[in-house]
Amino acid sequence: MSLLQVRALQKSFGERNLLDIDALELHRGHSYVLTGVNGAGKTTLLRILAGLETAGIGSYLFDGQTAIPGQLAPRIVYLHQHPYLFDSSVFANIAYGLHGRGLNRQQIENRVHAEMAWAGLAQVAHVRPSKLSGGEKQRVALARARALSPDLWLLDEPTANLDTEARQQVTALIGQIRDANNCVLVATHDTDLANLPDAVHWVLDNSKVDERSLDAGD
Amino acid sequence: MSLSQALFDALRLLWEGDPTLWGIVHVSLRVCFLALLLATPPAVMLGFALANFQFPGRRMLIVLIQTLLALPTVVVGLILYFLLTRNGPLGNYELLFTQGGMVLGQAVLAFPILAAMTLSAVQGADARVVETARMLGAGRLRIACTLMLEVRFAVMAAMITGFGRVISEIGCAMMVGGNIAGVTRNITTAIALETSKGEFAQGIALGIVLVSIALVANFGMAALQGRGGQK
Repeated sequence: MSLLQVRALQKSFGERNLLDIDALELHRGHSYVLTGVNGAGKTTLLRILAGLETAGIGSYLFDGQTAIPGQLAPRIVYLHQHPYLFDSSVFANIAYGLHGRGLNRQQIENRVHAEMAWAGLAQVAHVRPSKLSGGEKQRVALARARALSPDLWLLDEPTANLDTEARQQVTALIGQIRDANNCVLVATHDTDLANLPDAVHWVLDNSKVDERSLDAGD
Repeated sequence: MSLSQALFDALRLLWEGDPTLWGIVHVSLRVCFLALLLATPPAVMLGFALANFQFPGRRMLIVLIQTLLALPTVVVGLILYFLLTRNGPLGNYELLFTQGGMVLGQAVLAFPILAAMTLSAVQGADARVVETARMLGAGRLRIACTLMLEVRFAVMAAMITGFGRVISEIGCAMMVGGNIAGVTRNITTAIALETSKGEFAQGIALGIVLVSIALVANFGMAALQGRGGQK
């Protein structure tokens, strides 16, 4: 059974038909890399799947159940190309989604420390976001989302505008996110990220999503 | 009296801690802080609601608040005078010529500034604040609180601007307070009175205090400007 199954997804801007997708299925244990030229609609597609933008959708099934896009957070998380970090410490940012989930203070602290260790952020736990580099911000956003163990990750150009070292760090973390129970969909232009191990390669072209082997190029 | 002599006497009054002078400063600061305390919660809530919710009359309310920004202080004083006078609708509260009446008047003056600046701050907040909070599973109330936290420096700047407006106004304080010595005489009304009597020293001393307060407030505002927002 697919984790997310969307049928008859259509999105237009005025006369322009941006997305016209008959069916889209995402499965647990899989990574998907979505490429396409600038303006093809990659970000819009991810935002629609996350429920951050509206679109005409025939059916939207999550774990086999009809669902409403946007009401599945944090089981579905969308990470912006330039993630927003709240104006508090790195620690508080990662802890944000853990409050109100029946965890006590110690459990939250343990979880945050574990995520900071995973993302290599222990040294900046009490630093404010304005003092972080672009790569560190992206890693905070990944750690913050990972703390919630989402089923579906929607990552929008996570390595855009990062230098080589930061890009490698973020790519390595994204490679570790996927496990048997979740699914990762990454929109990217980055060839390193597009070569995620075992990823299914999708190309968004002319409002359709096509599966394509990496050898075929895009 | 020459200007240099008046200035010398003013500095002496300040240095020697003249009780009358500092009593006037105390009245001014007390009334201003209480007025801000009274106006800030409802004004910030209104600004937040106007920025986030659509409801009938919203547009009109925004125009009204923007109009009130330019309302002359004497007009506020005049309206409150009629409301608070013994035969007025609020006459029973006996607030006319009291510090309570001055607090009310200055709260009315600060309210539109606080509401308009909060509205502007929330409208100008990064759209990703709400989206990120939603993605992390926050409910409506938590999203609202997060948004307010993210624009807190702008709200503090609004409070400083509101403080600047009320500490320096004279029309409302004069009409509603009545400039009663030791009770409702504040910095601005005292300066007006002392100058009209030809007693420049105390007026200049109070002027120095007023400018100093304005300077501190503006330093505070400058420190807050540019904080918060995109991270």
